[in-house]
Amino acid sequence: MNKENRKTITLSMILYELRNVTGNPFVHIFGIGMPVLMSILITRIAIAEMTEPSIVRSVSTSVFLGIGALIPMATIMMGYAVQQAQELEKGIPERLNLFGIKNRVMFCNRAVSETIFMVAAFLIYFLVGVVFLDLEMPVFSGAVCYIVCILIFSIFCFMLAHAIASLLRKFSVTYCVSMLIYFACMILGGMMGMSYESMPKMMQAAAKLLPVTYMNRDFFTIWTGKEYNFVPMLQSYLFFGAVSGILLFIAARKQTRKI
Amino acid sequence: MGHSELLAVERLTVHYGKDTALDIETPILIEEGDRIGIIGSNGAGKSTLIKSILGLVNYEGSIRTRLTVEQIATHMQSNGYTDAMATRHILEAVLNTKISKNQKLRELIEYFEFEDCLRKKYSKLSGGQKQRFTIIMVMMQDAPLTFYDEVTSGLDFETRQKLVEKLVAWYRDRDSSLCIVSHYYEELEQLANKLLILDKGKVVDFGKKEDLFRKYCGRAVIVLNHSPEKETLLKNYVKLAAPPHLIALSCDTEEKEREITELLLKNNIDYRRSSTDIEIIYTNAKEKQRGQVNRQ
Repeated sequence: MNKENRKTITLSMILYELRNVTGNPFVHIFGIGMPVLMSILITRIAIAEMTEPSIVRSVSTSVFLGIGALIPMATIMMGYAVQQAQELEKGIPERLNLFGIKNRVMFCNRAVSETIFMVAAFLIYFLVGVVFLDLEMPVFSGAVCYIVCILIFSIFCFMLAHAIASLLRKFSVTYCVSMLIYFACMILGGMMGMSYESMPKMMQAAAKLLPVTYMNRDFFTIWTGKEYNFVPMLQSYLFFGAVSGILLFIAARKQTRKI
Repeated sequence: MGHSELLAVERLTVHYGKDTALDIETPILIEEGDRIGIIGSNGAGKSTLIKSILGLVNYEGSIRTRLTVEQIATHMQSNGYTDAMATRHILEAVLNTKISKNQKLRELIEYFEFEDCLRKKYSKLSGGQKQRFTIIMVMMQDAPLTFYDEVTSGLDFETRQKLVEKLVAWYRDRDSSLCIVSHYYEELEQLANKLLILDKGKVVDFGKKEDLFRKYCGRAVIVLNHSPEKETLLKNYVKLAAPPHLIALSCDTEEKEREITELLLKNNIDYRRSSTDIEIIYTNAKEKQRGQVNRQ
């Protein structure tokens, strides 16, 4: 075994982390099952009274794209945070450090594995969507924009999840906090029945800061290539990224001081 | 640092909150080929010393070594692994190899009779299997310095014996240095050539097993189970400090030893003779230190 020559990203570590990701039941339930079920149910309820096919298609696509934001939140933000906290509690990263596997190596390989799992989850989600729902085809720029937005959002979710787990270091507390964030994002993002427009002013102020609000409300506009003002969405991304980055920095500082 | 020196600890202090877990003033030198048994009661600072060397706890003082942390293999007291996959996948990922392509790994798996456990998840392994799992990976590191922290704790007598036999046989003709923390002195008698005795975070003594024996016990000791009758029978002989259930008699000369053993044989009393008894070294070293502290 040559620990000093270990590359940052290796196939064996990606497979290890991928097995870790898929071994977590949370990500299957909340990351695939729930978005798939919700997209079908909510869409069916929303279009029940509609007869005009173009409106049905628009509504279905809008709901479908919005609910898609649950996938990175569930698989990465919640799934990774909870599992990482559980591993920290068991001393697994420390044990792997002693075998010469640095935190950087675990972090990078986990990021790759989370991406692979999330892509697979999206493939299943879109496959079900195409089969069971009448979805509008995107324009090329809309599809690219959707992918980029989801990817950036996922990166921030990963940073936030790692920070929460590293700061709290306990499965129970991390589970509670990540669940609260997950459901807060769903409620404020307008995925639980209350639209942004019908929210009280205070809630609107908070909702404006979350990328999920724009994903749920506006992604259909981007998807179909209609004119859209990206500034508020960009601001929400910057805010979410800054919060995740600061928390990650604090977590890293805390870890550095310990050793 | 000399050529054969691997690691030197000088004036090391570790605090856990307001408590001082370790306060080492006597220098500790680990040299190539050393097999150091680290002994002391719970809270003596054994694991803290290892954690300091590995950089897992904050410390004040100096730890000099030419080894990187990666060149030090460690079997910790508790070793956690993921339960999301079978142990074979953990082995392959940690060691960055394939079992099918790695002859040395296959030999170790066979040596530790771990073949049937490769498909099991870590939590499904027995205590002994869990220890063997980590040992295989630790041995695969082939490090110049290896720490074993209570590797046999919690195992039944038979499993413990088998595991120690395997460790002894594996390291018999190898140069690697070992530091073994254990509460089982008979294990250290097989594995260690030096002893580091810790008590309440301080070094009681450190040196070659034989030197420490001579220092605290003399030429040889006769150890027997304690009873008031035996105490009366042996009242004229020099006794060493011993655990309450034992009587330890010091034999400075061959004549004295013969005299004691003849008396014991005549009275049909079972005894054990030793010139390396770690338990008696430990008890007397601690006793002597307490005496010195009380005098101060």
